[in-house]
Amino acid sequence: MTNNDVIESLISRFKKNDKIALARLITIVENEPEKASKIFKHFENIKHDSYIIGLTGSPGVGKSTLTGAIAQKMLDEGKTVGIISVDPTSPFSGGAFLGDRVRMTNICLHPNVFMRSLASRGYKGGISRAVFDITMLYEAFGMDIIIIETVGVGQAEFDVYNLVYTVVVILVPGYGDVIQMQKAGIIEIGDIYDVNKKDLGGEDIAVQIEMMLDDTIFQSGYRPPVVLTDAISGEGIDELLQCIWDHKEHVELLGIKEKKKNRFKYKIKELIFTKVEKLIMENFVDENEVNNIVKNALEDGKFNIYSSIHKIFDKITLEIKKNS
Amino acid sequence: MSSRKIRVLMSKPGIDGHWRGGIVVSRAIRDAGMELIFGGFQNAKQIVEAAIQEDVDVLGLSIHSGAHFAYTKQVIDLLKEKGVFNDILILVGGVIPAQDFPKLKEMGVANIYGPGSMTNDIVEFIKTHLKK
Repeated sequence: MTNNDVIESLISRFKKNDKIALARLITIVENEPEKASKIFKHFENIKHDSYIIGLTGSPGVGKSTLTGAIAQKMLDEGKTVGIISVDPTSPFSGGAFLGDRVRMTNICLHPNVFMRSLASRGYKGGISRAVFDITMLYEAFGMDIIIIETVGVGQAEFDVYNLVYTVVVILVPGYGDVIQMQKAGIIEIGDIYDVNKKDLGGEDIAVQIEMMLDDTIFQSGYRPPVVLTDAISGEGIDELLQCIWDHKEHVELLGIKEKKKNRFKYKIKELIFTKVEKLIMENFVDENEVNNIVKNALEDGKFNIYSSIHKIFDKITLEIKKNS
Repeated sequence: MSSRKIRVLMSKPGIDGHWRGGIVVSRAIRDAGMELIFGGFQNAKQIVEAAIQEDVDVLGLSIHSGAHFAYTKQVIDLLKEKGVFNDILILVGGVIPAQDFPKLKEMGVANIYGPGSMTNDIVEFIKTHLKK
């Protein structure tokens, strides 16, 4: 079979709800993004009706366990659920240890769930490049709900915000004081704040978040709730789920279209940027030239990388103007 | 840009608590540049469902309970039933007596790694024996 035949046959199996075909198509969009157009031309008529939720927070706060716990409740409610869990790729070996599925073993046999572990593969922002395409595949597969669980993030990896309609930021007891709560970035993006591992405390963190929210102006009239959970015992999960449904209702009332537009804009910009970056790196940036700049900058005693870099910029600008 | 990554699922069928072997091999696989999905304790159905959804190239079963024939047979039967047996390389590791190796291979296991195995050998075997 040629490559095209493989895709055609997978698509027809996919349309019959074959999870093996879904899994293989995910592999293709992940490994060979240039084939995405061949796949998605079959899904031009899909409705983007899945409701997409993002769970984010530092490593070890319980994102995977919480994902499993809320997915279980959603399945109990009769919904179909697609899960994407991302873990980091090693900058040294390019390998990854994906340890999210192990927290969700008890839901994985349910016929209405599909769960895929992804490695970040060098993509910044707490997700992986393939996440958007996989949400599209899940939408085409007819998932009611899609949950994206990010890499364990720090303060500035919040790209998931662009791909989902509800963001749950997860914290744990001991997170930090009033100063931490004032910082920009991850702590700003929550539609819901969850303090997990409540068996270890966390009431003080909940109060700190509430105080931070007191200082925030909410144009839409929606104020993010703060929930305390213990994902392992299941305490607080019903409350968290209710908060998610409440926010969903708010988003839908306000018009989910803006969120969807934002999601597609993010991907389109990313595709253009990736392509342009590749073209420029291939055509204008010579590794030897970079090495020479570094060498000269260090050896002639003047750290003048900017003047050397500008020569490259001038070359690129000239070339672009010539062709436009 | 077709950067194919080898994906490996490491599972512990049953509930014997000997995690060390599976963790050490998983780490070696990660350090060899592959993507390792750690399945932990799973029954045969959960293992096969995970192998399918994660679309793995390799399935590692870490067994220290003495029940390697029973578990391996269950997993392989299910892989065959789902039609994915021919796509996945199956490796078994753990406390497996050498006299049991031939029977496991006959069942469809590609290789077996007992105590004293070198992680480099496992990585090399995977790289040279992928089915798809």
